[in-house]
Amino acid sequence: MVRRTFVMAGAVVAALGLLAGCGGGAGNDDAGDGGTLKVAALEGGYGREMYTQVIEAYKAKHPGLDVQLQISKSIEDEISPNMKAGKFPDVVVLGQGRKAALTETLIKDKALEDLSGVRDGLKDKLTDGIVGNLNTDPYGDGKTYLMPMYYAPTGLFYNKGLFEQNGWKTPATWDEMFALGDAAKAKGISLFTYPTAGYLDSYFFALLADIGGEQFYTDVMTYKQDVWKSPQARQALDLTTKLLGYAAPTTVGYANEQDFTKNQQSILDNKTLFMPNGTWIVGEMKDAPRAKGFQWALTPLPAATSGGKRYLTTSVESVWIPSGAKDKEAAKDFIAFLYSDEATKIFAQSSAIQPVKGLASTLTGENAEFYRLYEDPNVAALVGGFASTAPVEGVDIKATLFDTANSIISKDKTEDQWQSALNDASEKLRQAGK
Amino acid sequence: MTTPAAAPKRAAARGRKGHGKFVAACLLPALALFALFMIWPTINVFRMSFYQWSGFSPEARFVGLDNFTKLLDDDQFIRAFQNTVALLVVVTVVTMGMGLFLAAVMTREKLRGRNLYRFVLYIPNVLSVVVIAAIFSAIYDQQNGLLNGTLRLLSADGLQQVWLGNQKIVLWSVAIAMVWQSLGYYMVLYMSSMSSIPEELYEASSLDGATGSRQFFTITLPLIWQNLRTSLTFFIMSAVNLSFVLVRAMTGGGPDGSSEVLLSYMYKQAYTNSSYGYGMAIGVVIFAFSFLVSLLVSRATKREPLQF
Repeated sequence: MVRRTFVMAGAVVAALGLLAGCGGGAGNDDAGDGGTLKVAALEGGYGREMYTQVIEAYKAKHPGLDVQLQISKSIEDEISPNMKAGKFPDVVVLGQGRKAALTETLIKDKALEDLSGVRDGLKDKLTDGIVGNLNTDPYGDGKTYLMPMYYAPTGLFYNKGLFEQNGWKTPATWDEMFALGDAAKAKGISLFTYPTAGYLDSYFFALLADIGGEQFYTDVMTYKQDVWKSPQARQALDLTTKLLGYAAPTTVGYANEQDFTKNQQSILDNKTLFMPNGTWIVGEMKDAPRAKGFQWALTPLPAATSGGKRYLTTSVESVWIPSGAKDKEAAKDFIAFLYSDEATKIFAQSSAIQPVKGLASTLTGENAEFYRLYEDPNVAALVGGFASTAPVEGVDIKATLFDTANSIISKDKTEDQWQSALNDASEKLRQAGK
Repeated sequence: MTTPAAAPKRAAARGRKGHGKFVAACLLPALALFALFMIWPTINVFRMSFYQWSGFSPEARFVGLDNFTKLLDDDQFIRAFQNTVALLVVVTVVTMGMGLFLAAVMTREKLRGRNLYRFVLYIPNVLSVVVIAAIFSAIYDQQNGLLNGTLRLLSADGLQQVWLGNQKIVLWSVAIAMVWQSLGYYMVLYMSSMSSIPEELYEASSLDGATGSRQFFTITLPLIWQNLRTSLTFFIMSAVNLSFVLVRAMTGGGPDGSSEVLLSYMYKQAYTNSSYGYGMAIGVVIFAFSFLVSLLVSRATKREPLQF
């Protein structure tokens, strides 16, 4: 899914969306027996066709019910003006980690409907470990507020063809990683780049869990006191600082909304070996020119210790019901339907893979390769992100963690400054979360 | 004799009174819209700056001046403020200076093809900011951009820069785009006021032996001074806005916040950091700041109006 691509277009779409919002007000009456169900969804890299089909299938089962679909590449801009005015959609398909942070804001406000009932009804269907984390149970109280909709591994993407031509193996440890960096340098190839610093989420979260285990990862995500002063955190920053020393020289100059595809292109051109990204990259760059024999492949980060567990930061889109929704029972029924065999099949045709048992083994092509990584017993999915707290003015720990990479590469900041800025931000958020 | 004269006067007065009601009725919808969409939201900005509110939650917590005291400790806000001031000063001086110079050259010197120059210089003003951002992304591209390509061609490889990636340069890269965008507009504005200055003044002064630059400073500049003042105020207002849209489109405030300006930081805080009240506090600062700067500029440039 091309999460960050459309931010600019968003401004334009927002204006149109406002107009559309004004015009759409007339149809809100609960007419007819079945009433109206309003579904809002983000149009991601999977397209919009699959939603239309699923809604058709649902309507066929519920004659008389009017299901209205609102779908857009910047859905936040279209639904939030109405939400501020108290008019809420019934079902929203939108994950966390978006620029507009609508989902995060509603979580912070405790303005989502409890979906534990829906979760229990689907207990036998969902893959293990996909619910019961901060991504689905944002308050850590065992209650599910966001149902996991699609999941996709993120990690280091590279050109398999280039590795085969040179007889390189994907590094299993960080020593191998840096040795590979030196070998590649001799051929004029850089080791690492990122599209924009924000993409480092797929890198950092996995790195933290690789080094300190899941408990340490959770400590960092929940702002445990002095967690950034711990030796594990220092090790993560040490490794990253060293890795950024191997970054492609063009990285920072292109790490903005306008030029980030040029960083992605450097992988296709065999100028750089690895970049953190998600499975949407295949579709996003499908028309871009590429080196001969190019083939996308994905690897988890090298293990912190030889043979240690390696995590794949797994991006999960969510579906949720705002507390302000009118018809919550109908909304819950619709969400349950989204996990039916019929719906799952429709979604899978658009490469939107739901966390449903047995689905991954039916995949083909590049997707099959990507999802096969989870079968390695040493590889585990890592879901979730920083815990939500009450908003803290002027503190954005994600920006502190990721954007500072730009300054590390350009040597405008030191690793020590990075560490202490992270510690400050984490401490302020910890106090707000109490 | 007085009655016939007084009668039409009364009629006229009656007529004006009738007009008054009609005029008020015509103005009312516009006034209502203005109050609803301009005055009320502005008041709301001020009001919300005293609250802690995420933007969606039903309850907003009154925090008094807390948002403003937090601003003083916020390094990123201070950097954004510095960037805004730097952009305002540099872009204003360069745009105004170049605009005046070009306008004077175009009106006084009978340049061949000046209509073409005027056209070419004015075009950027018509382009949308997204297009400008795309153009400058092509110009500043560190590998095959126009700028670095030209430097390579001139064998000045040492001068090549990562224009949007170097934290010490990026703000000036944005400034150049801003100047490029607004130069043509102000040039045309000054050209029109310069061309209304009577030719005799220049003829007389040249008979007295005044040079072109002397004429510019003693005739042209004093006579267009009032226009200059007005446009300066306009420019300061619009530069604050233009810096936001260009920064959003070109750099996103990066790398690592080094090209953040006040409005882009306000946007980030209000909409992506769920701190709507804090964002509005930044909005109040921007409001007060542009107001103050405009006032100061207006005061500092006050002269006795000259007429020809």
